[in-house]
Amino acid sequence: MTDATATQITVENVDKHYGTFHALKGIDLSIPKGQFVALVGPSGCGKSTLLRTLAGLEGITSGAITIEGENVTGVPPRKRDLAMVFQSYALYPHMNVRDNLTYALRLKGVPKAERAQRAEEVAATIGLENLLDRRPRELSGGQRQRVAMGRAIIRNPKAFLFDEPLSNLDASLRVRMRKEIRALHDRLNATSVYVTHDQIEAMTMADHVVVMRAGIIEQHGAPLDLYERPANRFVAGFIGSPAMNFVDGVIAEDGRHVRLGIRSNSTIAIDRTLEAGREVLVGLRPEHIALGDAQDASAAFTVGAVEPTGAVTYVFSDDEPELIAIADGISTLKRGDTVGFSIDPGLVHLFDPETEIAIP
Amino acid sequence: MQRIAHTIRDGVGFDVLLIAFALFYLFAFAGLPILYNVILSFQQVDMFSLGSLFHEITGWENYVAVFNDPLASRVFWNTIVFTAASVFFQFSIGFALALYFNQRFPGASWIRGLFLAGWVMPGLVVGVLWNWLLSGDFGVINWVLMSMGFIDEPIFWRSDTDYSLIAVILANVWYGVPFNMILLAVGLAAIPDDLYEAASLDGATTWQKFWTITLPMMRSTIGAVIALGIIFTLQQFDLFAAVTSGGPAGSSMVAQYWSWELSFRQFDFGRGAVIAVMMIVVVLGVAAIYVRSTRQETRL
Ligand SMILES: Nc1ncnc2c1ncn2[C@@H]1O[C@H](COP(=O)(O)OP(=O)(O)OP(=O)(O)O)[C@@H](O)[C@H]1O
Ligand SMILES: [Mg+2]
Repeated sequence: MTDATATQITVENVDKHYGTFHALKGIDLSIPKGQFVALVGPSGCGKSTLLRTLAGLEGITSGAITIEGENVTGVPPRKRDLAMVFQSYALYPHMNVRDNLTYALRLKGVPKAERAQRAEEVAATIGLENLLDRRPRELSGGQRQRVAMGRAIIRNPKAFLFDEPLSNLDASLRVRMRKEIRALHDRLNATSVYVTHDQIEAMTMADHVVVMRAGIIEQHGAPLDLYERPANRFVAGFIGSPAMNFVDGVIAEDGRHVRLGIRSNSTIAIDRTLEAGREVLVGLRPEHIALGDAQDASAAFTVGAVEPTGAVTYVFSDDEPELIAIADGISTLKRGDTVGFSIDPGLVHLFDPETEIAIP
Repeated sequence: MQRIAHTIRDGVGFDVLLIAFALFYLFAFAGLPILYNVILSFQQVDMFSLGSLFHEITGWENYVAVFNDPLASRVFWNTIVFTAASVFFQFSIGFALALYFNQRFPGASWIRGLFLAGWVMPGLVVGVLWNWLLSGDFGVINWVLMSMGFIDEPIFWRSDTDYSLIAVILANVWYGVPFNMILLAVGLAAIPDDLYEAASLDGATTWQKFWTITLPMMRSTIGAVIALGIIFTLQQFDLFAAVTSGGPAGSSMVAQYWSWELSFRQFDFGRGAVIAVMMIVVVLGVAAIYVRSTRQETRL
């Protein structure tokens, strides 16, 4: 039914200035129909700005935006046929839930009976049946969130835009809504652009993750691609939790090992051959560090803090830079122990210390 | 005695004390004068009996006299026209300006602040100002209207019985617009931007946003502004004193000015009080509307 190759939204070389502040710098992005795209990045990187330019709520300084092949640059939001779920939900406080849901239909002149029926249908989809006559202020945060979702889906828009829709909910509800939103996306065959600063949310929900920093796209791709092949140090450190360890290193004489710049004399193998003596930045994911006996390992550290969580134990090195490794849930390690570690050569990330770009 | 001192320090008693104080204040400075005014309206009070506290009771005589006065129906209609026209134009112009300055453009908040300058002027000063503007021979208004070709010969605003009430209405509208604008601007600023953004994405035009978001969200503010406008307009005295003195021939006489004239020009305090009593009834009614709309505000 959906044409997987059809492009729903394209962003071409978009720049956005707020006065002298350069908020978006040459953004290029193409979003295929039916895809769930997450925009992630640290606070202030321009995620919301990019989303709002798609919606038409912000103008752009240069570049072009197209929706279903039509250039919509400069077209006002009401003619773009996109639906947006705001972080604040932006429900109309003077209307009850039914009127909030059907506001767009009312503007379009859909007859009252049909509106009421659509409201019932949508309410049933998202579990709001008993709340149709309530005002927003009589709803809980989670219920408001659902109304905001309902208001978006009732219109069958060309795409859904979400700006951190779950950030006002408590942790358990957030995990549940994450799944519901994704399920809804699949059921409606929708195209969604989802802004979040939570990389776990992005990784778990999206087909395609766009990592932004300071107004530029650092890297985009499938979640596991970003995890396995981060293009640079920033993406490597942003994706994954707990964050990747970074250690200075020098390539050993054989070109197949790297000496780590930590206190203990440690060397690990790498899966490629590099020029001996080259300085590199080594990235090690905590979950890839295999802890073992200090005697038979080529690398080791002294244990600092140990944080058991039940499922796993976070083991911190007593060193500068500090390393984090993940051990079994029940671990006998304690402060002051010396522990050996190893890592699969294929899982060692290497970056140029100057440019911070991944070394192929 | 000690128990009383105790509860005052511990809370409940203190609340009661505060309320009692406010009620006492209201009674002494609003209740008593109103009561005395009502009593006066049933008495025969003139220059000679003014000094004594108790006067001859005359029943409804003053009321009958006021209603039978040849000026009564004129004053009644003038008051309604004056109030309705003033409030209507103050509100519409104030709302239009508030909407305009709610747009974000450089200097918007500064210019909005400048409008307050008109409002802080004493009514008499505004009256004198409009005396000049409306003057028949060398008034600016006439000059503008004539040079734009709307009229051929000067209008004698203050002395022509057809125009005298309009003259005061003009001055009063000018005087009241800033107040309306500021209160309405505060109400507009309280509407979150994201509601308009959500409405834009839902397909609303600017006009539809105004009708479906702005107006309903402003309901309680509008109710309060109009109620206050009516009350202030019914209190407006200075402008009449400065511009037309209710004349010529009562053509711009309104209730509040007539009340003053009966009491302090003709020294018939009983009849002056009759008009004051009737105005108090109207103002209480309007005040009730005001209280209701501000109560809705807190519930939103
Ligand atoms: N109206 C504005 N005027 C000036 N600067 C703005 C405006 N809106 C946003 N900015 C700036 O643009 C940058 C990007 O803002 P944006 O809201 O897109 O960040 P974000 O990535 O969504 O961050 P967050 O995760 O905190 O929501 C920020 O540095 C912000 O200060
Ligand atoms: Mg944001």
